[in-house]
Amino acid sequence: MSTNQEITGAEIILQALKDQEVDTIFGYPGGAVLPIYDSIFGQNFLKHVLVRQEAGAVHAAEGYARSSGKVGVLLVTSGPGVTNVVTGLTDALMDSIPVICISGQVPSHLIGTDAFQECDTTGITRPCTKHNYLVKDINKLSETIHEAFEIARSGRPGPVLIDVPKDVQFAKAKYIPKSEVIFKPHRIKSGSSEIDAQFIEKLLEHIQQSKKPVFYVGGGCLNSGPQASHELMKLVQKTNIPVTTTLHGLGCYPGEDPKSLAMLGMHGTYEANLAMNECDLMINIGARFDDRVTGRLDAFSPNSIKFHFDIDQSSINKNVKVDYHTNTDITLSLKAINDHIERRGVNFDQKQFDQWWSQIEEWRGKNSLFYEQGDEVIKPQHAINRLYELTIQKDTFITTEVGQHQMWAAQYYKFSKPNRWITSGGLGTMGFGMPAAIGAQMANPEALVIDIAGEASFLMNIQEIATAVQYKLPIKIFILNNEYMGMVRQWQELLHGSRYSESYVDALPDFKKLAESFNAVGVRAKNLSELDDAINEMISVDRPVIADIWVDKKENCFPMIPSGAAHNEMLLSKYDKEKPENQEKGKVLV
Amino acid sequence: MSNSSVYPTPINAFKQSKRSVLSVIVDNEPGILARIVGLFSGRGYNIEALNVTVVDVESNLSRITIETLGEERVINQIIAQLEKLVPVHSATNLANLKESYEAEICLVKIEFDNEDQDHKILNFADIYRTRTVQKRQHLVVYEISGTSERINKFLDDLTTISGIKVELVRSGPIGLGI
Ligand SMILES: Cc1ncc(C[n+]2csc(CCOP(=O)(O)OP(=O)(O)O)c2C)c(N)n1
Ligand SMILES: [Mg+2]
Repeated sequence: MSTNQEITGAEIILQALKDQEVDTIFGYPGGAVLPIYDSIFGQNFLKHVLVRQEAGAVHAAEGYARSSGKVGVLLVTSGPGVTNVVTGLTDALMDSIPVICISGQVPSHLIGTDAFQECDTTGITRPCTKHNYLVKDINKLSETIHEAFEIARSGRPGPVLIDVPKDVQFAKAKYIPKSEVIFKPHRIKSGSSEIDAQFIEKLLEHIQQSKKPVFYVGGGCLNSGPQASHELMKLVQKTNIPVTTTLHGLGCYPGEDPKSLAMLGMHGTYEANLAMNECDLMINIGARFDDRVTGRLDAFSPNSIKFHFDIDQSSINKNVKVDYHTNTDITLSLKAINDHIERRGVNFDQKQFDQWWSQIEEWRGKNSLFYEQGDEVIKPQHAINRLYELTIQKDTFITTEVGQHQMWAAQYYKFSKPNRWITSGGLGTMGFGMPAAIGAQMANPEALVIDIAGEASFLMNIQEIATAVQYKLPIKIFILNNEYMGMVRQWQELLHGSRYSESYVDALPDFKKLAESFNAVGVRAKNLSELDDAINEMISVDRPVIADIWVDKKENCFPMIPSGAAHNEMLLSKYDKEKPENQEKGKVLV
Repeated sequence: MSNSSVYPTPINAFKQSKRSVLSVIVDNEPGILARIVGLFSGRGYNIEALNVTVVDVESNLSRITIETLGEERVINQIIAQLEKLVPVHSATNLANLKESYEAEICLVKIEFDNEDQDHKILNFADIYRTRTVQKRQHLVVYEISGTSERINKFLDDLTTISGIKVELVRSGPIGLGI
């Protein structure tokens, strides 16, 4: 096509997506996006995945993005179409996931008249996007889309929304390719690319003086790309420093490696939390001192020098004051540190942390992830353990819903690579996991994709089973069915005198029959003897599967640092009781 | 203030709240003001005064001046959050500049009944070198400019005159680094 030719706004959108190498879009049609759907019809570079509710589209785009490192894209209509994605956009903002949402808007001349399916889309989504646009001028459409992609994926990634009135979709203009757009640096906020030599010197100095150091690794390491994990691995092996990761950091450092202390925070391991509490040097790589990690702030790691790597300037000193920080991309910084060590021939005394490690081994000896599997009722922890062992040989992507099952998945499923673990952390969105699995499977057609689910969360976006069936996406929904909103029940037990107000999930469907009615496959395990067979059947079928795993209804997730408690006030099992004064304090927090 | 609640006092509380004037250069585009105001309301920061005007027509830039209250850490967090907004070029705390100047303008309408009041008003107007915008029987309108503090003092002094009626409008402070 000659670049001088004028094409419609709808065609410009398609051209721009092609230029941005988008091959998959999740969407749902409606009046205000019909011209775009018309352009999608009959072309073949872009695969459109028709979801069953727009919430599914945005979570699928998130799953696609997280599992591929690319930008996830969705298309929704005006009014209810776009209000349905508000939760997902907020989710993507909290968890720094690059997503582009294109929404239709009523024609320009009707904006402000309360027209049919009109809503103030940019107004509603302003606080839940990294940036958003209302494109009123067709001549700005190409550049706006290219800028939106650049913003979504650079610096700290996030969701960007582009609202396009219907008349702009019909209007004509020349398409401006990505290669011809000059981005204004102040609008892109890509973080610094300069290595902070002083920061590196200081860090190495402190490592050599330290007796009790720890790496605290978060989602920023993941967002910096797989190379960051590689550099981290190198640095850890050289320095012999233990590593703990946040929920989103899982997989950035191999979970089975002896230097891994596994996850920290509210449901983290004993050794991870005590190491954080007692360390004298904390090296934070792309984590944001979230309240789920820090516990009570004034008791958080009181005696450590803190180094913070974060591309987002506003993360520095937001919750916890740090001693040194850098806003340079993590991959660049870690690589510079490793290069520096090699060039200067810096040697680390392999005995330097012997005492620290023996202390850590002692904590590890508590075996805080211990559980007792009897011979009848399946323990949820055991179900995850078996799932892990039976899928270890495959390239497996795990998504989750939100609740106890999510925490058990984080504790008992071990990840050896980044981008294999896709969960809703910051917002904690029930209903995230299944559509996210659809997105992950679209991005990784050959992989095994499993949504570890709770029965209550699964019901929140259950309609998306039809999407998986339609596109022959063999995702697996592994339900730890405890007939309770288990995490709510757990808090009620610990903090509200076991008054289980409205947390029993009554009138559950028969998940096996439900699967069959959607033309998916249903399997069930009612007791321990059926567990492995159910898992094996689930994995072997090349179709979407719902596995209904009946687990102990009363099991709680431990260890647990109750809200408002400190890292060394952890509850290890049901035999530990929360101090009454802490109960009162914890109750008012989230 | 004693804290009798079981709820810990959040760190962001205005422990050592300080008045700060922030100067923000932005692309003049639709929604920019809403973005900034939304940032303040959404994160629980205070806006004491706000001023927005285009300052460079050619490059389409506006300067937004915000007076806010908060301890230093909060102010630094506000600045970092402002700088994350896509249309924001820069956000500066005027207090952090080596040299900066502040000004505010205020229009004051004063209604009075008697000569004694008139005298007192005139006296203050003279001390503070206000400009007379309008003067009629029993009514005067002044324009006063300078630092916000100076205007506050003038307004405080007026309150010492009993029986007069004052109505006013203030632009909020603006400021410039040199
Ligand atoms: C959309 C939404 N609503 C409410 C909550 C609060 N919440 C957190 S966990 C949970 C219960 C989840 O139950 P289930 O999916 O069965 O998981 P389980 O804890 O039993 O493993 C609820 C209601 C939430 N996180 N998200
Ligand atoms: Mg449940």
